[in-house]
Amino acid sequence: METRIEEHPILGKQETGRLVTFYHDGKALQGYEGEPIAAALKAAGVMVHRYTKKEHKPRGIFCAIGRCTDCVMIVDGKPNVRTCVTPLKEGMKVQTQYGVSAEPEK
Amino acid sequence: MKRYDLIIVGAGPSGLSAGIEAAKKGLKVVVFDENAKPGGQLFKQIHKFFGSKEHKAKIRGFRIGEELLQEANDAGVEVVLNATVTGMYQDKEIIVRISDEMHHYKGDAIIIATGASENMVTFPGWTLPGVIGAGAAQTMMNLHGVKPGNKILMLGSGNVGLVVSFQLMQCGCDVVALVDAAPKVGGYGVHAAKVARTGVPFYLSHTIVKAEGEDHVTGVTIAEVDEKFQFIPGTEKHFDVDTICLAVGLSPMSQLLKMAGCVMEDNPKKGGQVPICDEYGETSIPGVFVAGDVSGIEEASSAMIEGRIAGVAAAKYLGYMDETELKGKVTELEHALESLRQGMFAPKNRGKAIEETEEGIAISKNLLKHGFVADDEIERFPGVTHKAGIHPVMECTQNIPCNPCQDACPKHCIKIGEKITSLPAVDESVDCIGCGMCVASCSGQAIFLVDETYEEGYATVTLPYEFLPLPEKGEKGTALDRSGKEVCEAEIVDIKTSKAFDKTNLLTMKVPADMVMKARFYKRA
Repeated sequence: METRIEEHPILGKQETGRLVTFYHDGKALQGYEGEPIAAALKAAGVMVHRYTKKEHKPRGIFCAIGRCTDCVMIVDGKPNVRTCVTPLKEGMKVQTQYGVSAEPEK
Repeated sequence: MKRYDLIIVGAGPSGLSAGIEAAKKGLKVVVFDENAKPGGQLFKQIHKFFGSKEHKAKIRGFRIGEELLQEANDAGVEVVLNATVTGMYQDKEIIVRISDEMHHYKGDAIIIATGASENMVTFPGWTLPGVIGAGAAQTMMNLHGVKPGNKILMLGSGNVGLVVSFQLMQCGCDVVALVDAAPKVGGYGVHAAKVARTGVPFYLSHTIVKAEGEDHVTGVTIAEVDEKFQFIPGTEKHFDVDTICLAVGLSPMSQLLKMAGCVMEDNPKKGGQVPICDEYGETSIPGVFVAGDVSGIEEASSAMIEGRIAGVAAAKYLGYMDETELKGKVTELEHALESLRQGMFAPKNRGKAIEETEEGIAISKNLLKHGFVADDEIERFPGVTHKAGIHPVMECTQNIPCNPCQDACPKHCIKIGEKITSLPAVDESVDCIGCGMCVASCSGQAIFLVDETYEEGYATVTLPYEFLPLPEKGEKGTALDRSGKEVCEAEIVDIKTSKAFDKTNLLTMKVPADMVMKARFYKRA
């Protein structure tokens, strides 16, 4: 099902940035430049942003305003980036975070 | 260390309002905000605001935000974004994180306008992706143009839960149920009614047992609770949903004030830990003021007025105006603030069981239990009258501070009077011209135009409609009653859109005459 709101009864048509390619765990996805990484992932159907360190439980968007840190991921090699308040750039490499690393613990 | 006359923390409705007033008096003002854009939560509010005409009622929140930014810009308020204030110390020193650096600032006065954060509740599965805050839903759909989910269950029947449920439907989501552990709807009845009539079932005295799913939410189970909020076995109900939205209240973000040593109190009527402050918002530390939700949870309308009061009070504190000028400026603002704090939902009435309106009319019990006024209750309210020809029916049944309908009617056939919380009544000596201005002006979408004698055996109902796609003239669909139940066939005989209606479309549907007091929503075939 379409996740982007094409036309809104009050807000009209959404103004968007340029459509750019970024990478989620190596897979090429598209999103709008300048929108939060989390919005682009949500629109692409990605729900899980990370797994917790001790219990390996999935986490995704929760507050969407940079408070709760549930949505942190590894962005261009840097861990703990709050994807809900970090603008998307062309070519960004976004990785699921396992604990504090990019690799699931064995 | 950089010095300012006045440092404001938070560029939301109260912080910006404070900055405007202070800058107008010549103070050197800076506003720090941790977000990338100013305006706080105003730009996520797409509904028309309540209140008085003089204080921006019936204007949509994001438009108020645009006006406020313009005013701040004109007044020369400096706003620093992506700047998180992480500490406030003695002598009004603060530390601000800007990108990866910490900066020191000193203010001769400080206004804390940090707002509030959302409360949460825990249940098995609450950490699953797909369980989100209501604020997150608003952020995603109204700022970023992304649907928060497809099938959604809302927990919380306060104004946030009700308003966000409606907004979710406006962007095309399916709200499968509205759930609250409390036995009564917490928010405005009109907000509940506009959700209920689209067919969303309300489950009061119910809460979430568990969220289901492995990697993300795939379903939810709710159950009824007793007076002690314990689950009643055998009352479980399951819904297939991909999203669970939590709207369970707000708490003041008062940490900076506590850290600086302000005298605090725990006040449930204000939403939690708040500083003790005087009528100008001045805390126990002279020159440190508060405004907006951080000093007690209310609406953006009151936050803006509190901000203006704190702004002029800070100017007075620093000697930019005298006592007389302060009194002159504050008196009118305080009067406006007081009028917003009247009625059934006033802070002082939180937690009280109100049985009747100020007019002495029994409150609709069904509205509180199921989200809509029952057929056998609606006739007792003063906005509901009958006459031949077209006329307004105002299903406004609770005393809330709001009066734009009174001025919307060019014929002056709607009367609220001096007291802003009074229920609107119809002046039956004046003939309604059917212009629909009242329908579009009602922030609660509670006004309908009815023509009980439209044609032999048929009547028309004109209703506010803020969904897409718009029905077409001549199309046939189904009329829903206040509970959202399908009651009869309906034909769209007119659709009015106008700049003056501000995106509220007026649908006129033809229904069998005996359905005129039941049919309140239109569902496309």
